[in-house]
Amino acid sequence: MNSLRVRLLVIIGASLVLLWTAVAAWMMVELRGELRTALDDRLAASARMVAGLALQFPTESLSGGAAAKPLLDVVARDGLACEVSLVRGEVSVQKVARTASSPALDDASLGYSTGIYGGKLWRIYVLNQGGLRIATADRIDAREALLKDVALTAAVPFAVALVGTLFALWLGIGGGLAPLERMRHALAQRRPDDDAELPHGPVPRELRPLVDTIAHLLLRVRSTIARERRFTDDAAHELRTPLTAVKTHLQVLRLALARNKDAPEVKEALAHADDGVLRMQRTLEQLLLLARLDGGDEVDPNLCADAADAARQAVAEVEASWRTPGKVTLDPGQAAWCVRVPEVLLVSAMRNLLDNAVRASPEDAGVDLRIVSGSDGQVRFEVLDRGPGLSEEDRAMATRRFWRRSKAAGGSGLGLAIVDAIAKRHGGSFSLAPRVEGGLQARLELPAAA
Amino acid sequence: MHLLLVEDDPSVAHGVAAGLRLHGFTVDHAETAAAAQAALAASEFDLAVLDLGLPDGDGMDLLARWRARGIGMPLLVLTARDAVSDRVRGLQAGADDYLLKPFDLDELVARLHALLRRSAGRTMDRISHGGVTFEPSSGQAWLHGEPVELSRRERTLLATLLQHPRAILSAEQLRDRLYGLEQEVESNAVNVHIHHLRRKLGSGIVETVRGIGYRLGSA
Repeated sequence: MNSLRVRLLVIIGASLVLLWTAVAAWMMVELRGELRTALDDRLAASARMVAGLALQFPTESLSGGAAAKPLLDVVARDGLACEVSLVRGEVSVQKVARTASSPALDDASLGYSTGIYGGKLWRIYVLNQGGLRIATADRIDAREALLKDVALTAAVPFAVALVGTLFALWLGIGGGLAPLERMRHALAQRRPDDDAELPHGPVPRELRPLVDTIAHLLLRVRSTIARERRFTDDAAHELRTPLTAVKTHLQVLRLALARNKDAPEVKEALAHADDGVLRMQRTLEQLLLLARLDGGDEVDPNLCADAADAARQAVAEVEASWRTPGKVTLDPGQAAWCVRVPEVLLVSAMRNLLDNAVRASPEDAGVDLRIVSGSDGQVRFEVLDRGPGLSEEDRAMATRRFWRRSKAAGGSGLGLAIVDAIAKRHGGSFSLAPRVEGGLQARLELPAAA
Repeated sequence: MHLLLVEDDPSVAHGVAAGLRLHGFTVDHAETAAAAQAALAASEFDLAVLDLGLPDGDGMDLLARWRARGIGMPLLVLTARDAVSDRVRGLQAGADDYLLKPFDLDELVARLHALLRRSAGRTMDRISHGGVTFEPSSGQAWLHGEPVELSRRERTLLATLLQHPRAILSAEQLRDRLYGLEQEVESNAVNVHIHHLRRKLGSGIVETVRGIGYRLGSA
């Protein structure tokens, strides 16, 4: 039963029908009792009336039967059977007269009784008064027919009212559920990529939490979709640009080779194509790293990466790739720190920070990497440069994927996003701050191993 | 053909420029919207290739600004973003065609020639003028059905004249189209190429308009 409307109708309708049927059955029982009492009273009253009238005649005139006839006719008009007898002694009874419809009732006992006479079931009342025995009788099947008629007369309006109630119920439930139906319709009409808001309209109090929840959910879905769309769009751009460079330079190479093997274009095109492949490789690797950090299994609590070792490795790699030996000054601090992060990721995070610092800093200025004790059980890595720094606005944007201060600055735009993801993933934090004397300070805090 | 390439990625720009030069285009390259504006103010271009993501503004804005100013040269948009809305927006802003990165250099060249053809109101790739027939996409020329060998500059010169059959082009305009804006050339360089072209295709091919410049002759 998927429809709320049908469900409500069945529950309420069935309860109503059941309740009213019980009431009707009860009423039928009462009615039958009342009817029986009333008809029995009529039997007794008729018998008494016949007796009263008959006693005014002399016994002799009655025994002939002619005098009793007209007064029996009065009773017969009411549909009753009646038999008048004279009582002679203890057991002898002489029938005087009886209505046309009446069977022989001479063996019926005094008072009320029910019995089969002449093949039919009768209700009988026998009165013994002043030597006369008056028996009046109703046919039971006539009584039943009467009861049926009365019941039917009452039942038809009752049934009509019940059907009407069910119909009104159906309409009423439909009306009551209309806001829900409107919402269902609005939701059903939405395409999966539709990011419009739900239509506004009056909402009943009971539905308000549901509507609010759905609206909130849609809002979140919308922002997620927008973020994902921007991300794929950016990723496509970042991968397609070097791919375009590689493809174009290879085609230039083919053209140049076809014309002249020693053309200067040949060497240039090869160098550019190499460069493009390198750029793409770097972007892809960083994208994959980010994807792994996003998905992520549980972090092993027993990890222990030597902070100073990782820092030395990162410094060596960065200095080698920028061909600037001695550019980075490393201060590994007093204690031997051990960090709860896989060593590869720790090196990667620091290399990204150092890369940015070296890229930003002027040629004659150095870059510092310091390892110090951070807040509650964390190890803090600080990378300081003397570059132009970032505005507050830029610092807020810096960890967004594919964000770059300027395209000309180079880099994939993923470095700080990766550092941030590594920090968040392992229970650390990452922040950027301006330096008073100019430049930028990057702070990465990671939990120390127990 | 004098082409303005607006592309901010140096490697892509270098490759496209080199490829187009090998296909006989004279390419000037601008890295930013501002540089593109400056180049457009300094010289005339037959067509432009525009990347949409520029460091100092959206390429789409630049395009809309040009079209609003009545600069009607054929323009092809390059984009790495494949959202349909981006492409539609580009075409609505007045681009004549677009290519999604990464593209095929040959396709870019073919589309550029198609744009040139369309802008000159031609439907065929070959241009016939008197006894001279020229195929811009391959750079091959024929005189009375016989193939004629032309140098790169001569081909560009002939293509320029045929592209603007009624225009009078100054020596300076021709020089820009042959060498671009960056190259320093001797003052009589254009004259030398006109001389060669006349020798190979008949003296009537280039007509001198005294004191103003040159135009396509009756050949």
